[in-house]
Amino acid sequence: MIGREDIGGVHIKYLHHCRRQLWLYVRGIRPEHLSAAVQTGEAVHDVSYPRHSPVDLGAARLDFLDGQQWVHEVKSSSRPTDADRAQAYHYCHQLQRLGVEVQGAVLHYPATRRTHRYPYTPEAAAQAEEDITAALATAHAPVYPERLPRTGCRGCSFADYCWTE
Amino acid sequence: MPAATRTYWLTSPCRIRRKDESLVIERDAAPSVHIPVTDVRDIVACAETDLNTSVVSLLNRHRISVHLLSYYGDYAGSLLTADTSTSGETVLAQAALARDPQASMAIARSIVDACAFNVRRVIDRKLLARPYTVLQESIREATTPLHLMGAEGTFRRSAWEVIDTKLPDWLQLNGRSRRPPKNAGNAFISYVNGIIYARVLTAVRLTPLHSGIAFLHSSMERQRHSLVLDLAEMFKPLFAERLLLRMASRNQLKHHHFDRDTNQAMLSDTGRKLVVQTVRDELAVTVTHRALGRPVAYDELLYLDALALTRHCLEGTLYKPFRIWW
Ligand code: SF4
Repeated sequence: MIGREDIGGVHIKYLHHCRRQLWLYVRGIRPEHLSAAVQTGEAVHDVSYPRHSPVDLGAARLDFLDGQQWVHEVKSSSRPTDADRAQAYHYCHQLQRLGVEVQGAVLHYPATRRTHRYPYTPEAAAQAEEDITAALATAHAPVYPERLPRTGCRGCSFADYCWTE
Repeated sequence: MPAATRTYWLTSPCRIRRKDESLVIERDAAPSVHIPVTDVRDIVACAETDLNTSVVSLLNRHRISVHLLSYYGDYAGSLLTADTSTSGETVLAQAALARDPQASMAIARSIVDACAFNVRRVIDRKLLARPYTVLQESIREATTPLHLMGAEGTFRRSAWEVIDTKLPDWLQLNGRSRRPPKNAGNAFISYVNGIIYARVLTAVRLTPLHSGIAFLHSSMERQRHSLVLDLAEMFKPLFAERLLLRMASRNQLKHHHFDRDTNQAMLSDTGRKLVVQTVRDELAVTVTHRALGRPVAYDELLYLDALALTRHCLEGTLYKPFRIWW
């Protein structure tokens, strides 16, 4: 199964949204190939910042790194979430591991024209480490995590799997 | 299978070429069509199709499979992309169920039951009531998949007889025959079943299940994808038998839709186009899903069924194969 190096931004996002989602994801449930919501997300990606090519970190992908060593990520949602922030710290963590002295992350929300800046502090670094540990524990859990209350599943692309009878 | 991408159906002989990130479909009698590869989910080739290595590598990169239907409409094979969603742990769970005689018989029983339920539903509830009761009895007593298949065969024979009473002479089945189909009715059923097989294969490959590990059909069957044979069972009547009856009663099927001689029959070019068009439209029909509370297309039902089986493997939730509920 997966190890610490394999944990990417998606794992961290799922960890914060719903542990069951993470558990299913590592078992090959990939409804995002189908989900219309995700397709919209990709479209936002393509049109918003066409000048910058994405940086591929293997497990993680981020949109670009500017001259001042800030990571930039474009989000298709309109509201910032804890999951977004955790994901941003995770990218910083990965860059740090590669020897990049990253300053922090800037999240762009084109839908509302907002940006959020998260400096990569020692607390943030500790948080990123803890998240990786928690993601691994969830991924390796022998028993599936229970579903969220149904309202928490709104918009989740795993809902077909979780809620079909 | 909700997505911005689409299934492309090739109904006349053609060649697929690659132009940058687009597919170019060239046909003899018609102008070429350019399709951006990002618009394609998969391709069903219902007529002679040529393609080359550079097309295959582009398709592969975008996880697009091509399903090939033979002249008789039997499923001939697929160009499957190497990259599937198969996950080791899910496949292990699936294999464990398949090797557990009790667990796999439970799945096989419910598949046979659901299939017969659907056959009865589309052909005739009253006339098939008795054969269905007999079948359910045999399902309970069956101890191996082979027994189940035998019982299903018996039920199917009654169903063929009943369906013949509702068809004009020239479309009657007179029992099932394949490779090659003996008459027009059989040619129709074979062709539609071939399409459904290809659609179920696409659906299964969107899940982490292994298409070769089955519960009712033997994993050693001639066809590599025996799980697809399992899952196609419940859906064949929804399309094949149901559309045959409907198209016959609406007088949509004509003699010129088939090429026939004394011993075999197949769809003609115009017949093939008509049938593909009809099945394609039918796959897009939506019904409100009771558990999900939203409209789902028939095509998506195949995928949801494969997902439910995945969940059965991973979490042990009860797997209830698709039954027509409307
Ligand atoms: S549908 Fe609900 S329970 Fe399932 S993964 Fe999504 S949020 Fe979690």
